[in-house]
Amino acid sequence: MGITRRLFLGYTAGVFAGLRGLPLDRTSRYVLLDLNERGCFRESVSGYESALTSAGAQWMRADARWMSPSRCAVLIVPAALEIPPPAVRAIASCLQAGASVIFESGAGFATDREFRTHRVVLRDYLQVHIEQPVDLWPDNSLQRIPYVDYTWPRPAKVRDFSRVVPLGRQAGEVIARVDGLPVALKRSSGRGRLIVLGSPLGPALWAGDAEARCWLLDCLRTARGEGA
Amino acid sequence: MKKAIGDNMIPKEWGLEKGLELVKQAGFDGIELWLGDAPWFQMGTPDSEVRELRRKVENAGLVVSNVSTGLHWASPLSARDPKVRALALRIVEREIETAVLLGTDAILVVAGLVTPEVPYNEVYQRCLEALRPLGEKAARSGVRIGCENCNAEQRFLISPREFWQFLNDVNSPAVGIHLDVGNIHDTGFAEQWIEMHGPRITRIHVKDVMTKRGRCGDQSVYTNLFLGDNNWPAIRGAMTKVGYDGWLVAEMEARYRYAPDQQFYDTAHAMDRLISGRF
Repeated sequence: MGITRRLFLGYTAGVFAGLRGLPLDRTSRYVLLDLNERGCFRESVSGYESALTSAGAQWMRADARWMSPSRCAVLIVPAALEIPPPAVRAIASCLQAGASVIFESGAGFATDREFRTHRVVLRDYLQVHIEQPVDLWPDNSLQRIPYVDYTWPRPAKVRDFSRVVPLGRQAGEVIARVDGLPVALKRSSGRGRLIVLGSPLGPALWAGDAEARCWLLDCLRTARGEGA
Repeated sequence: MKKAIGDNMIPKEWGLEKGLELVKQAGFDGIELWLGDAPWFQMGTPDSEVRELRRKVENAGLVVSNVSTGLHWASPLSARDPKVRALALRIVEREIETAVLLGTDAILVVAGLVTPEVPYNEVYQRCLEALRPLGEKAARSGVRIGCENCNAEQRFLISPREFWQFLNDVNSPAVGIHLDVGNIHDTGFAEQWIEMHGPRITRIHVKDVMTKRGRCGDQSVYTNLFLGDNNWPAIRGAMTKVGYDGWLVAEMEARYRYAPDQQFYDTAHAMDRLISGRF
């Protein structure tokens, strides 16, 4: 087995420091599934692109129709709203093949009709149950900032995105809450892992939020660590 | 230099024609039209009526100095909701379209709004992403977008250097600054903003500001020219230094309680003194 000195040192460090000590795998394939106009926030796509690039990760943007699940370690679906059948198939195939999928819902600002469709697709094809979007700033309160508190893979406090999509009761571990509402979860799915975000992280990445970036990179490291 | 005043200063009960007559009689050369403020110039006003508006302005012996709008306070380019942002973009596009119809080459945009909910870094990025394509559209139409410095109200681009860097990042010759010398309050000095931005200034809003009053409750910090704390000789000197010879547009916040037309005469006379440098 060929192994470089740098990789060997990375693994060795990881043994002592836990997964968080692992360097970001530059040979892993991180794939951004770009839903184009079907996504809600272009800035979310830009946020993931920027975070992955600045971390030196090897990533590619893919069209759901042409992507190869077997070559994908982590699939990121930024700010999804309308999810066409090829995208659903790509997500399911990646999970079956053992990849991690970070699925970010962009339905917070959707119309009622868009939201209903979004909810049905998530329920029927990914078995993810979501609730009606919640406005975290109903009276533009100056009293507090409703931060999203992530507990996994590392504690992180990320600014809310005004309107979040809470998650219903379902299988999986809640990994983030805002105002007591569960807004992110992880669970095993197929041979892989599904991570659902009900508060978009991409815009925070795009705006340069350091905690959001650390959270994402830890998420990628963990995915790779568990798959290794 | 030429002087103008906003059509939003015209008492609502006067109507457009009587208001234009007053603006001309008071000695102004032009009028700033506020999209969304007066009934004669709304987002839904069709092109034919915009052309008619121009005809009325020109028949009164005036020209349109620029197109402005306050609609972005409710629908900012920096909103998180994509639907609100789409509306904000449409407002700017309509400003550009109507500027062409009205025969002027400048529009005012309140570029972004920092709030407790939407933080500075997001506002900065969204404004850049909005203004780059809008700058291209404006350039194709022969119009310049002037982002107004609404320092205290926007909580965005508060210092002149910050604004300068922002315009560098937008990197479009069609996007500059609509400088309001009354908006700087006690965060700096208008004359320094003029010196720093020079050729990027699309228009200048004039009003005076009482920097020591503070802004509590309903008490306005703004006042008529020469009644506040702006250093007008320095402002005039900076305009000369950078070669600014464009429009000065009066934007008075307080309106006279009685004889509202008197404010037009007083403002025009004060602007004459400013332009001639007789202090």
